[in-house]
Amino acid sequence: MIYFLASSFVLSAAILLFKNKTINFISVVMYLFTLSFFTIFSYIHIGRINSIYFKFDALSILMASMTSIISIGSFYHSFSYLKRKSTSDKQNSFYFASLIMFISAMMSAYYTQNFAVLWVSIEATTLFISILIFHTRTKSSIEATWKYLYISSIALAISFIGILFLSIIANSNGIDNLNMKTLIVASKNIDSMWLKVAFILITTGFSVKINLFPFHTVAIDAKTILASPINALMSTALVNVGFVGAFRVFTIISQTEILHWAQHILMIVGVVSILITVIQITRVKRLKRMFAFSSMEHMGLVFLGLAAGGIGYYGAIMHILFHSLIKAGLFFQLGSIRSFYKSIWIKDNGQYFRLNNWGGLALIVGVFSILAFPITGLFITEIMIFKSLLMGGYYFVSIFVLTLLSIIIFIVVRNTFHLLYGTVEKTMIHKNIKPNYGETATQFVLFGLTIYLGIAPPACFTKLIEATISVLN
Amino acid sequence: MTYLFIILYATTLIYFSLAERVKKFDWLLAIQGVLLFGIVFFDMQKIDTLNFIFILTETILVKAITIPWFLNKIRKRNNLKRKHEVFIPVFYSVIITIIIIVGSFLISSHFHDSKLNTKYFSISFASIVFGIYFIIIHKNIFSHVVGYLIIENGIFLLSLAVGSEMPMMVNLAILLDVLMGVLVLGIFINHVGDTFKSIEITQLTDIKD
Repeated sequence: MIYFLASSFVLSAAILLFKNKTINFISVVMYLFTLSFFTIFSYIHIGRINSIYFKFDALSILMASMTSIISIGSFYHSFSYLKRKSTSDKQNSFYFASLIMFISAMMSAYYTQNFAVLWVSIEATTLFISILIFHTRTKSSIEATWKYLYISSIALAISFIGILFLSIIANSNGIDNLNMKTLIVASKNIDSMWLKVAFILITTGFSVKINLFPFHTVAIDAKTILASPINALMSTALVNVGFVGAFRVFTIISQTEILHWAQHILMIVGVVSILITVIQITRVKRLKRMFAFSSMEHMGLVFLGLAAGGIGYYGAIMHILFHSLIKAGLFFQLGSIRSFYKSIWIKDNGQYFRLNNWGGLALIVGVFSILAFPITGLFITEIMIFKSLLMGGYYFVSIFVLTLLSIIIFIVVRNTFHLLYGTVEKTMIHKNIKPNYGETATQFVLFGLTIYLGIAPPACFTKLIEATISVLN
Repeated sequence: MTYLFIILYATTLIYFSLAERVKKFDWLLAIQGVLLFGIVFFDMQKIDTLNFIFILTETILVKAITIPWFLNKIRKRNNLKRKHEVFIPVFYSVIITIIIIVGSFLISSHFHDSKLNTKYFSISFASIVFGIYFIIIHKNIFSHVVGYLIIENGIFLLSLAVGSEMPMMVNLAILLDVLMGVLVLGIFINHVGDTFKSIEITQLTDIKD
């Protein structure tokens, strides 16, 4: 892990030092190679401790795999995006250097088993993503950067207080570190009040990354103006970072008698988040904002899966993985859509199917996948989550959430079909823009992968999910 | 001696609610940094050189010198003089601050947990709650960063209260992260000031649909 982080730092430094297109390209290719190699390496050495604070466990490998796949797409789309924007070499260098460090900080957060290192890694992601939000240097991007940076800092300060309360558990058992394994053992001999306080504070703080109530607003604002290739990572890999943090604390709690209390908290957060999504999504006027709220809805469902337990655990982990692939594909497609129109508002975007038929098809497949239509991966995971809710006797919650999901489906479909077939003034459409079929192909790969993993998951994939949830209880 | 520093720290919180000039915020932050050093130094059972250097760096170098100096530069660049933008009058703020401090001490007195050092817990809790209150009552983003730093100082005291024994490397990384965060926040205050011609939070409403 240390070598991976060091190589990321060296490649970022090289990009910043030379500020040259060729160096950017070579460094990015080398980084992607290192990232992929490291992910495979961690899978081969599963279960091993690495560089003191890190461990190759099933959850981290799953998350790292998703990040590696999405990162390839993100870098590929970034080159097209920067070409369209005609930004300077200096700006491009900052963009790629920050992107490399951002991905590496996320990888560090996935693999670490130490809560203090986890917090440091998550704080580092805030700094690097802030630079990327600021990249366009418009009035909106400055506003979004300020809000994200500031509220994230406050939220992470809250989570740090929670981590300090976790250290009470460690100290009372004579432990001088905040490693997961030792905390799990120690949690059995501690007054549950400290664990409850720690859980509430850490989950609240990390909600800024998970894109859930109560700190969801700044992430939504940032995603509204963020470049699509970065949005694809922020809405997926970064959301997963927050989830990993919350899941680690949940793992400790699952070994204690306060598990049911924690599950009720997760259920409240999940339902409130989906409810807020419905309230907000009825008012959205931009596609990026609509899909940002869609992430909030899906993370709410993931929390409901954890709250229900049993098969819900399995559904929750699968759901977050499939959501990552689909949402990344959709944001890549939104980048292509943006290049065809002069306006960002939904009302000014239409006739997309005529302008880019393959892109339109990718959008339809992506939207049907994210709305969990049958045969897509999310359809299977949502069935698992609702099955576990019904088996747990949460009938009212299930019906209420299903009603909310129906409203979301209606609004997303309405806005998507307006984009595909709605009439708009010709002045709103850029002339002479040609569809990029290479970009569209990457989206089909991501959507296809979720269908394949949902219908016929390979043994290694299911084993990793089973290993992830086996640590609960 | 530690109690004296804790009382002085509580006094700085009252001064924060009293201060009319933004310049005083920088000074009060610097004083808090020195007081934090005093609290840790007089509580140390034995003086370990490496630990001493780390605490000296964290409290004096970073909290008492670097951050106030940097904030002072930002204050001058954005021509901030009087705060004049609080939602609540100073008189009521002082009363609320005293209630926060007294309330924190009363809450702490109810804890009888051997793992929690209540003398630190009470002042850390007061500092964190006051920091949040400070952010809520101010309109400009410079004061919001000051509020964030008051919360950070409260968290530092909380780490003493829970007797956190994190390894030096992790402590250093956390310190570096916070320092970087403040520096980046500071730089963005300048960007907001240049772009919006004001650093009032009411100006930042462009993104909402």
